[in-house]
Amino acid sequence: MAISPKKSSERMSRIINVGDQLPEFVVPSVDPARMKTMAAILRDPYRVHWDREATREMGLDGRVINQGPLNLSYIVNMLHAFAGPTSIRRLTVSFARPVFDGDLVVAGGEVTDVQDSVLVCRVWLKRGDEVVVSGTAVVDVAALASVSS
Amino acid sequence: MSNSTSPLGYRFPGGRYTIAHWENWLLTDCTTAQALPENLAHPVSLFHVPILGAGTSIAELFEICGAEGPGSVGLDGYDWEYMHPLRVGVEYRMEGGIVRWENLVDERDQPYDSMSFSIEMFDGSELVARITNTWRFRRKKVVSA
Repeated sequence: MAISPKKSSERMSRIINVGDQLPEFVVPSVDPARMKTMAAILRDPYRVHWDREATREMGLDGRVINQGPLNLSYIVNMLHAFAGPTSIRRLTVSFARPVFDGDLVVAGGEVTDVQDSVLVCRVWLKRGDEVVVSGTAVVDVAALASVSS
Repeated sequence: MSNSTSPLGYRFPGGRYTIAHWENWLLTDCTTAQALPENLAHPVSLFHVPILGAGTSIAELFEICGAEGPGSVGLDGYDWEYMHPLRVGVEYRMEGGIVRWENLVDERDQPYDSMSFSIEMFDGSELVARITNTWRFRRKKVVSA
């Protein structure tokens, strides 16, 4: 069962259960211009993020590769929409496949454990049915509880 | 299997880093989200802030680990712990180094080196965050004559 990210009062009025699905965060088209800005912020010299010639050399048809932190950020944004901007306690993720400019990706998650106000969630980023990032997030929803009280 | 020298045990110089407002705004925009309230920095700042704050860089890590051009570096995983939210305008202190180095072979029998580095981030004496990132450095297979 999905939990609404929009209505905090509604959200806190119900019990969060193991197996609950987190609301998805959708990126309709990964933007190569954002990769360029991100490369500058990160001081990242790896050409595959901003130089189409570099990925042509790799046989990837000139599509640039999204930075790992940006792939993870979509999962973070999904968690923020659900649990608030100070909720994240731990992120443990692995990167299975590269994400390219123009890809449509969807971040999602599922509650796997609940201990007081702390949730453990399985999280992922998918391109279609393909999982490109997967892992575990620990989030504290105590701040939401205080908002609702 | 690998033609690179193990950098295991390499310690970063250490140092300090303050997340600037403009930097956080642009980074958050890159994630397709809007800036967070109350000077909160986007949690994905925990990629570049520890690296730069520890006195190293992605370029230096590539050099230390012998990166061999486009396609030779891959991400394996991150383990990021947040003891406190990150904030814009706070001067953080960082220390860390390379904590793991293994010569491995992938499922296609291609050799690579797996490297993990770990950095702790402090506000004064208080631990704010800890990261361990694992990167993969693919190697050209050496064919015997």
